[in-house]
Amino acid sequence: MGRDKILQRIRSALGESHASEHDRALLDARMDQRPSGPKVALGAERMSQFLTKVIANNFTVERLASQQLLVSAVRALMPDDETPDISVAKAIQSLGWPADWKINYGPGRHVERLCVTQALAGIAETGSVVVASAPDNPTTLNFLPDMHVIVLRAEDVVDHPEDVWARMALENWPRAVNVISGPSRTADVGGIIVRPAHGPKRVHLIVIDA
Amino acid sequence: MSAQPQGFQQRAAQALSDENLQRSIGSLKGGFVAARARAVSALPEFEAMREAGRAIKDHTLDNLDYYLTRYEAEVVRRGGHVHWASDAQDACRIIRDICARVGAKTVTKGKSMVSEEIGLNDALEADGLEVIETDAGEYIVQLAKEAPSHIVMPTIHKTTSQIASLFHEHHRQYGFEHHVEDPAELIGQVRSVLRGKFFAADVGITGANFLVAETGSNVIVTNEGNGDLTSTLARVHIVTAGIEKVVPTLNDTSVLLRLLARSALGMDVTSYVTYSTGPRREGDLDGPEEYHVVLVDNGRTKMLEGAYRPMLRCIRCGACMNHCPVYLSVGGHAYGWVYPGPMGAVLTPMIAGHEKAQELPHACTLNGRCQQVCPVKIPLPDMLRHLRHDQWEEGFIRGKARWGIDAWAWLATRPKLYHAVTRTLVGIGALLGRSSGRFRRLPLASGWTTGRDMPAPQGTTFHAAWAKSKKQG
Repeated sequence: MGRDKILQRIRSALGESHASEHDRALLDARMDQRPSGPKVALGAERMSQFLTKVIANNFTVERLASQQLLVSAVRALMPDDETPDISVAKAIQSLGWPADWKINYGPGRHVERLCVTQALAGIAETGSVVVASAPDNPTTLNFLPDMHVIVLRAEDVVDHPEDVWARMALENWPRAVNVISGPSRTADVGGIIVRPAHGPKRVHLIVIDA
Repeated sequence: MSAQPQGFQQRAAQALSDENLQRSIGSLKGGFVAARARAVSALPEFEAMREAGRAIKDHTLDNLDYYLTRYEAEVVRRGGHVHWASDAQDACRIIRDICARVGAKTVTKGKSMVSEEIGLNDALEADGLEVIETDAGEYIVQLAKEAPSHIVMPTIHKTTSQIASLFHEHHRQYGFEHHVEDPAELIGQVRSVLRGKFFAADVGITGANFLVAETGSNVIVTNEGNGDLTSTLARVHIVTAGIEKVVPTLNDTSVLLRLLARSALGMDVTSYVTYSTGPRREGDLDGPEEYHVVLVDNGRTKMLEGAYRPMLRCIRCGACMNHCPVYLSVGGHAYGWVYPGPMGAVLTPMIAGHEKAQELPHACTLNGRCQQVCPVKIPLPDMLRHLRHDQWEEGFIRGKARWGIDAWAWLATRPKLYHAVTRTLVGIGALLGRSSGRFRRLPLASGWTTGRDMPAPQGTTFHAAWAKSKKQG
């Protein structure tokens, strides 16, 4: 059995320094305490640093006073003469999407022009947005579209990734937690940065203030 | 890929006269090295972070059995499966068995150095599976039937026009008739060809930058999004990871991620960092039906035993090779296996065996830059010196080299004789070389003088000069 053999090899390699029962209690305590290491000091007030950083990370950003304005904001991202054919996470299904749009509330499809998902948090340190999977927030919508629209409540912006982890319940830890910091890119051909590679060419962040 | 780390000298000599290669590896100096320097100087906390990163990895390695079993319990609690592989063959067998059981035909792969280490693609292809690398760089080297030459930039050795010809040859079947050289168009072809493969895949295999004991997650760090499409769209997600990848908590990953992006690319953060945990949950609309992790030992428990334990801190950023004068002269392929540069010169003999990698620990000037830039402070020069010593002890250094070192040791441990001999040789050298100040040829040193001249000694030994300067105060 590979497992026992490898654990035995590890224990014999660690020799005397190998954890005693007392140490195990200390290790359990470290797991519970979740110590955090040095962080990068914020250069500005939280929201202003967050917005500066997301723009530096090549997101496009817009702020809305209320989520009631979301549908028209999404409409404005698409050509006027086309009937929208988009995918929307069920988490934001109830926002009054027009009946004449083609809207997929399922998982992502082969070709996706635009998908809308709900963010869990924003991180000011790095200008990142955290999107967690759930039955009403499918992960594929984050990666398949040409344009990914992320809806984030202003109050969910925190300073550091550690602050996100502190807010999340480990018991219900999601299947996928995507920390997104800009459009998909690669420099694998000639060292030239190309956007997109496999994921979205454009990531549009909509911050809802109320 | 099979290990061919022997023959370093021959491949290095070829690399030195390869103009395309020299141009592309030269670009690393202006690119990653300058970007890293900027990112680090912008961050007063960087040294404290390196120390914290080192401490996290050391603590985890010192208690590796505890953290691996905690991690395993979390994966299982969330519906995943953990497999333990003693060596490369074991790891391949486990993955082949999973593929066979689920009736897989198509396998997509995110970037995984461990999968290269265990020779996974060859093993799966031998079973008749279609295996597709999805990272654009890995896809390119797979089409070219080559190995990656850098752990972060696998195509650093390839020019745009070489890639254009490769795609022209292979992408016709997908309707791309014309030869194009524009990087955006070439990447557009990759996007279009691979989009279908992601959806067709039965099994998606990714690596792990970290495994989190607290949640049972594997963490992948990418810019392309290919890893996420691989792990989300396939029916079965398999993670391949070395046993040293586990860290205790989510907070620990945050410390190490700050170090990783800056050390690898000179950036604060990559486009995507993803924590994947188990198979799809009840009610989920996407995600894999099965989630497996293959924990690979393959020589790592041997490294854990003693002098080489710090090597297991490595977070695979590539900073050591970006700053290595040897790597920057000969490129990654000269090292003959999956891990090039200073980290490879340590890992290859430890994993593939001394007998297969004798030359690598000697392909080093011991200048120490790799250790200075290593985000987790691995004493790479000490490891390489230690490997040389082990090679000697185990009798892998033979013939002229052994004889020469024996003679040197005999002389160097007799100070009076040593001083007399060096004084005489330096005196003769200064006399013979006084006209030009250098030698074009020297007996027993053609290895040096065919490439460059040997400067003539100045007439006095270092010891004598030192003593004189001390006397003068």
